[in-house]
Amino acid sequence: MYDPPVSSSIDLSIPSELGYERVVREAVASFAHRLGFATERVEDLKTAVSEACLNAIEHGNAQTPGLRVDVTCVWDGSGLTVCVQDQGLRPYSGHVTPGIEQRLRGDAPPRGLGLYLITQLVDACGFKLSSNGGNVLYMCMRRCPRA
Amino acid sequence: MLDNDLEVHIREREGVAIIDLIGDVTTFAEEKITNAYNEVSRKGARNILLNFRQNDYINSAGIAILIGIVTEVNRSNQRLAMSGLSQHFQKIFRMVGLAQYVDIYQDEDEAIRGFTAAMA
Amino acid sequence: MADVSHNAGPVERVVELHLPSRLGYEKVAMDAAASLARRMGFSADRVDALRTALAEAITNAIEHGNAHDAQMRVLVMLTVRPSELVVSVADQGRKPLMPAHLSPPPTIEESFTRGDKGGWGIWLIRELMDEVEFTTAPSGGNQVRMVIHLEKQS
Repeated sequence: MYDPPVSSSIDLSIPSELGYERVVREAVASFAHRLGFATERVEDLKTAVSEACLNAIEHGNAQTPGLRVDVTCVWDGSGLTVCVQDQGLRPYSGHVTPGIEQRLRGDAPPRGLGLYLITQLVDACGFKLSSNGGNVLYMCMRRCPRA
Repeated sequence: MLDNDLEVHIREREGVAIIDLIGDVTTFAEEKITNAYNEVSRKGARNILLNFRQNDYINSAGIAILIGIVTEVNRSNQRLAMSGLSQHFQKIFRMVGLAQYVDIYQDEDEAIRGFTAAMA
Repeated sequence: MADVSHNAGPVERVVELHLPSRLGYEKVAMDAAASLARRMGFSADRVDALRTALAEAITNAIEHGNAHDAQMRVLVMLTVRPSELVVSVADQGRKPLMPAHLSPPPTIEESFTRGDKGGWGIWLIRELMDEVEFTTAPSGGNQVRMVIHLEKQS
């Protein structure tokens, strides 16, 4: 198999409007697929990226027209890191993401499942500080050799 | 990564050399397609079918490669057909003019029948 | 009274995509644009036409404008309007587009006799898109602006 170049990246920017997360999803999936990620991992990443974009659109940017969601995808030769950044109208970083048990007990709001899903689907994720005050959620996925 | 998107296989069926092209036909395809064509020609193929599959991406560089094959086929007095192209790329091949020089069939079976009729 | 939309949202929605200048990356943009176009209601054959035109515009930007310099970026902007999708592709313009690249290609008969059988890209873009314009990008590079109209379903 052809060795991917040591590093490469793509960047995307979408309006804060529901539905546009699908465009990011397709672009990231296309990128990951071509980097040699297995189909199942690409599916995991698609869901994680969609959830991150939805959070950014609905919460971080509070669906405000004109605000943007910026997505960067960086391949470092062995793993892909996707960062989803909003403009931080509402901060939400630092939230612990409760699992289904707490939800069923009523100890956590029914919403916010997105972050929980993301933690389950990618190899590592978390929030980063951004210079402009927005929320930045990063998600990393390592590439296992394709069968 | 990004340039390994075409699989090329050669087989023979009822006197027709079939070159299966599975995937993208872009600038990266040149060596694979040309090698396959040269190989069947070396074995004396008179009837050649380019059988496309899952070709959601053929670009102008790929079209140039195919024009190159048609050029060789005309010089060598071979007969060339294509099958399995999507409606979109059938349209593109008509626009470019390739369809005037190559018989384009919906699928492999139809192409084989076409060759058989021409040989009869 | 002026007809001001009550939801006050801008009528345009813009998706931006930055790609490295390496052949193959055009597929990422093709998939993203196809997803957007399908959601806008374009028919499957129009989506295919868009994919092909976009691929040609981006490969031109990579090969000619950015001269295969992987450090250079290609910017793809998809502007969604109620009745059309505007797609612009800009490079960082080390090499301006030669007039020869813009002229119609020779016929296939001529190309049989030529060594170089390429040069169909820009012709294809013009055939497939409703409006095509070659300009200079704000960054100074080459820019291709293509429009595809959403035909109303009868």
